[in-house]
Amino acid sequence: MTATPPSDNIDLIEWYFERGWTDGLPVVPPTPEAVAAMLESLGGEPDHLEARIPPRWGSLTREVLAVNLVLAGCLPAYAQVVRAAVLALTSPHFNLNGVQATTHMAAPLLVINGPIRHEIQLNSGANVFGSGVRANATIGRAIRLVLLNVGGAWPGDLDKSTLGHPGKYTFCIGENEEASPWAPYHVEQGYTAEDNTVFCLAAEGPHSVTNHVANDPQGILDSLVSAMSTIAHNNAVSSGACAVILGPEHASTIAAKNWSRQDVRRYLWSNTTNTYDDISFGGRYGQIYNRNLPKWYKREKGARIPIVPSPDDIHLFVAGGEAGRFSAFLPGWGHMSAPVLRELDGRSLARDTCIDGTCEL
Amino acid sequence: MTTKIVLPSGQVVYDPRGRITVAPVTPAPRPPSLEAIRLGVLTNSKWNASQLLRRVVAHLEVVHSFSSVRHYSKTSFSSPADSDLFDQISKEVDVVITAIGD
Repeated sequence: MTATPPSDNIDLIEWYFERGWTDGLPVVPPTPEAVAAMLESLGGEPDHLEARIPPRWGSLTREVLAVNLVLAGCLPAYAQVVRAAVLALTSPHFNLNGVQATTHMAAPLLVINGPIRHEIQLNSGANVFGSGVRANATIGRAIRLVLLNVGGAWPGDLDKSTLGHPGKYTFCIGENEEASPWAPYHVEQGYTAEDNTVFCLAAEGPHSVTNHVANDPQGILDSLVSAMSTIAHNNAVSSGACAVILGPEHASTIAAKNWSRQDVRRYLWSNTTNTYDDISFGGRYGQIYNRNLPKWYKREKGARIPIVPSPDDIHLFVAGGEAGRFSAFLPGWGHMSAPVLRELDGRSLARDTCIDGTCEL
Repeated sequence: MTTKIVLPSGQVVYDPRGRITVAPVTPAPRPPSLEAIRLGVLTNSKWNASQLLRRVVAHLEVVHSFSSVRHYSKTSFSSPADSDLFDQISKEVDVVITAIGD
C-alpha cells in the first residue's frame, strides 16, 4: 500500500535538505502524530529542558529531542536510550564542547548493556559496527542529528574535524552479553544484570585485530598489543581512555585459560611497547615534554610510555558474531574527555557485590 | 517554545535546532593605542599556539613599546580557561592576545 500526499504538499525530505537540517541522508518527515508518540515515550512535557548542546548551545527540550528522534527514523521504544545517551554526553567531564569542535576525528561511541538490547532488538552480534539493524542505525543517527541540529556541529563550521570518521553517521553497538564468558561490562562496573546502561567514549574508528593462530590468551592479546603500540593514535600522545572489543571466539579462548577481564586489561596495559624515544621522535624536533601525558611518566630514553594511565582506562567489551577470530581496538580522543557510563533512568551505582576483582580498586 | 511551523500549504513541520537562550556577551571597548599598555599573552597550551604567540609578540614589540608582557596558559587546550585565570588576567593586563595553534 502506498500513500500519495496531496499535490499541494511540499516534499518534506527536500525541505529538510534545503535547510541543512540533516546528516546528509534523507530524514523521516516528522508528522505531528509521530512527534506526539515520541514525546509520550520521553515522558511528555514538551518544554522540559533536557540539556543544552555545545558548541551552539541550542536548547534540547523534549519536543526538540522527539523531533530529532523521528527525523532519524527511531521507534518510540528507542527514545529513553537516546535520552540517556544525550545526558551522558552532556556530563561535564565528557567535554562535549571539545569533542564536537576538535580537529581530531573522534565521535561518541555508544555501547548499550542490559535487557533493553533485546526489547529494541539492538545488534550486538554479527557485523555489530556495520549496517543493517534499525536500532543501532537510528539511535546513533539520532545522537548525530542532535549534535548537528542542536549542537551546531556542521562540518567546517563548529565541527573542525580534519577527517571525521564514518561513526559520525551512527556509532552504537550492544555488548554481546550472551556470547561473553564474563559478567557484562555494566555488572563489572557495579550495576546489576537487569539494569540498562549506556557507555559513551569519544573514539576513533575501530581497528581490526586479526589472530587466527593463537590458542592461548597471550597470543591473541599480543595481536591487540601490536595494534595498541603505535604513536599514531590519539591515546599515544594525549593519554585518556580507549576501548577494546573482543570478538566472542577470542574471548572464549582467553576465558578457557581462566583469564578474567581484569587479567586481560592488565596484560594489554603492561605490554604496550611505546617508549619515550618513540613518542619524542628520538629528539629530532628537540626536547618534547608533552604536557598531555601524566606527570608521573618517565621522560627519558628507553622509558616505557603506556597509551593510557591504568588498566582501568581500557574499556573492555565482548561483541560481534559467533564465527571469526577477530577483535577490535578503538583509541579514544585523549585526557580531554572522560568516558561516561549512565543507567537509563540515571540511577547511580549499587556496589553491593564485587565482580571480577574490580572492587579492590 | 514550540518548534512547530505551519507552512502556507497547511503542512506542519518542525524546526529541529532548539533555541539559543544564552545571553550574548558584549566585547570590551578597543584600546585607543597599544603604546605603553600591559600586554597579556594567553596560550591554549598547545605546542604550535605557543610558537605562534611568541612570534606575534616579537613582531608587535618591533613597532610598539609595551610597559609589560605577561604570559598565561590554559590548564587544558580543550576546555575554557578557569574563571580565576580570567580574573587574574583582567587585573594584570590591559590587552590580551590568544591563539589556537593546533
